[in-house]
Amino acid sequence: MSVLDAPVGAAPGRDSTSGGEGLVPVFVRLKLTLLRNGLRQSAGRRAAYIASLVLALLIAAGQLIALIALRGNAHAGSLVVLLAGLLAVGWTVMPLFFPSGDETLDPSRLVMLPLRPRPLIAALLMASLVGIGPLFTLCLTAGSVIAVAQGAAGAVFAVVAAPLTLLVCVALTRAVATANTRLLTSRKGRDLAVLSGLLIAVGFQVVNFGAQRLGRAGGLSALDPVADVVRWLPPASAIGAVDSASQGSYGQAAVQLLLSVAALLALLWLWQRSLVKLMTAPDGSTLAAAEPNREKAGKGGSKLSALLPQGRTGPVMERSLRYIARDPKTKAAWVTALAIGLIVPMLNALQGTGSLYFACFAAGMLGMQMYNQFGQDTSAFWMVALTISSTRDAYLELRARALALLLITLPYTIVVTVVTAAVLGDWEALPEVMGLSFAMLGAMLATGAVASANFPYSIPQDGAFKNVAPGQAGLAWISIFGGMISAALLCAPVITVTIWLHVADMEQWLWLLLPAGAVYGALISWAGLRLAAPRTANRLPEILAAVSKG
Amino acid sequence: MQDRTETDRAVRAGEAGEAGGAPTAPPAVRVQGLWKRFGEQTAVAGIDLELPAGKFIGLVGPNGAGKTTTLSMVTGLLRPDQGLIEVGGHDVWRDPVEVKSRIGVLPEGLRLFERLSGRELLAYTGRLRGLPGAEVDKRATQLLDVLDLAGSQHKLVVDYSTGMRKKIGLAAALLHNPEVLFLDEPFEGVDPVSAQTIREVLERYTRSGATVVFSSHVMELVESLCDWVAVMAAGTIRAQGTLAQVRGEASSLQNAFLELVGAGSRTTGESLDWLGGDR
Repeated sequence: MSVLDAPVGAAPGRDSTSGGEGLVPVFVRLKLTLLRNGLRQSAGRRAAYIASLVLALLIAAGQLIALIALRGNAHAGSLVVLLAGLLAVGWTVMPLFFPSGDETLDPSRLVMLPLRPRPLIAALLMASLVGIGPLFTLCLTAGSVIAVAQGAAGAVFAVVAAPLTLLVCVALTRAVATANTRLLTSRKGRDLAVLSGLLIAVGFQVVNFGAQRLGRAGGLSALDPVADVVRWLPPASAIGAVDSASQGSYGQAAVQLLLSVAALLALLWLWQRSLVKLMTAPDGSTLAAAEPNREKAGKGGSKLSALLPQGRTGPVMERSLRYIARDPKTKAAWVTALAIGLIVPMLNALQGTGSLYFACFAAGMLGMQMYNQFGQDTSAFWMVALTISSTRDAYLELRARALALLLITLPYTIVVTVVTAAVLGDWEALPEVMGLSFAMLGAMLATGAVASANFPYSIPQDGAFKNVAPGQAGLAWISIFGGMISAALLCAPVITVTIWLHVADMEQWLWLLLPAGAVYGALISWAGLRLAAPRTANRLPEILAAVSKG
Repeated sequence: MQDRTETDRAVRAGEAGEAGGAPTAPPAVRVQGLWKRFGEQTAVAGIDLELPAGKFIGLVGPNGAGKTTTLSMVTGLLRPDQGLIEVGGHDVWRDPVEVKSRIGVLPEGLRLFERLSGRELLAYTGRLRGLPGAEVDKRATQLLDVLDLAGSQHKLVVDYSTGMRKKIGLAAALLHNPEVLFLDEPFEGVDPVSAQTIREVLERYTRSGATVVFSSHVMELVESLCDWVAVMAAGTIRAQGTLAQVRGEASSLQNAFLELVGAGSRTTGESLDWLGGDR
């Protein structure tokens, strides 16, 4: 039982002082020790950490210089306020994606220690300030206040505002993370986080296109109306206060600064409240998931298996399709591929800069899902390995996985190509592009099968952005890039014929590329599966070892 | 130690005559000169094993003795550096078609297809094993009933507790009615109720003439379940034979085991004298 549920004020003097002041260095040291031990574990991790530290510092330094250079610009005030707002948003969403990034801050590890909430919060807040993220943020806030501070009053406000902004950001991330800890440690919550990572990936594409529009519209002045709102929202209001003070409106500056201070206090209070609750209430993640009503799900399942072929092919296809729907990693990869496969040709077409050939992108993106088939199984691959005893079994296994993929990919490719053709009004190119897409899909399936057998690698199940276990990144890149280059080379005959028909003015024969591409794609994927099957059958223990890491 | 070595030899000598059972039946598992190294570390250092068919066999040893490595190599999930492995007279690595259809496996530390429900997992495994759909359904229903999983058969395996996972893994391993069943730590982390269920199913299965090989470091369990024991430590077989042979003159298997693996009378001495003292 924790003592946290005792009233805070009732603490005996000895405890509260020793707990309060002694705790901060303990937690900061703990954080540094955990960091050092984590880095000691592997050279790859060390390299990755140093690389990201250097990268973050370089970017921060670049931003700092840019912000200082911005000093005196009429729109500097708007820009720094928006930057602070962006930082705050970043700090808010971060815990959703990196739930276990910081062990010092995991309250469930502190439950058994006799700690009181208030000193604990202070110590945790200070420990949170150690790291690349806070350093990066401090550089940006420092640059921001330098960019707008004018005169003595401005300088005074600046000295308070920069660290205050950082503190609000850190308190924000902690409050959100603690409130979400139960969600994030339960399975359903993590599934959600993986999918929200996907939303960001797709959203990024949209923002990218939007930014291009904004760039044309009218530069920095377009930001002013938004900034007028954001400068009153903490923690951006602290930066806004520096701007206000520099322009002589001290009253406004004081209100803005107080808003940020109030926000900091409110966040700390919220954090403390959810921390106390979390450490004294039962853990939600151990509550059993409700038995789902599978009346209709069960029927749907049997219907699906009735439609699929008998023998090995049916169950393998069924499991692959179920995993696309249920496994968060697989699902995220698929939805990303489907979304990007549609967004790239469509947005290009809508902007009037497109060509129907972009529609081949859909086939390429979806064909990529054939890569690392066994890595997608994780160590459960042993169940497959135990039932593969001949090259024939391995061939059937790979073919069934390719068929499951085609069940989605083939209609999708056709739809994307037709819709893009409709948007562009370019119906003439439809047959040749469709033929090219089929050839491309076949080549991706073939190289994907071969790569799956030769370069399997683990996909860690935790964390939305970890798609490769440490130490296997090189293997993954070799597999995917080598495969894509080989796929392009394998498509060369069809591409050559397309170009030749265009150059030789024999465009009346271009429709022939549709059946030719389809047949070529089918043949080449058959050949790829044939090639991959004996490799798979002979390398079962090696594949199992490779996909069981992490 | 001298005594022990002699008993050891006696156990090994006794095994050929008595424990092989009927002389005509080939051993369920025969292992000769099996080696496996991981980098610097030798996990399995040249073991020879002959496990009789139709017995309940315990492979015991402390953590890190090489039990899991041995079972992985015997079941074809890990390639040995050298050595011969036969299951039912068929070479595991040269004749996988014959071997894989005859064995059922429940490994430790490897996942199941957790995003399938219990019933879906059994249907998938059964059909991969080449059983007709209706037969898989029938067997799955019975196994789920007997193993007390019928109530959660439509839940995803990822939501199962440790005991439920072991039970559904056991069901998947039994589904095709194998001749030899290999279980790696089947009772690890399992509550007493589930353990009893697993036990009953296994006892019934061996009564039909099938062989169960399971690894464990819980001696009381091995003593009460097994009629044949092989003791492993540091990658070697220290003794093998019937329970009585391996136990020898020791009062319990636990004591015989401690002596075999060379865990002498290590006492805490006076180094913990503060423990339980003034607070």
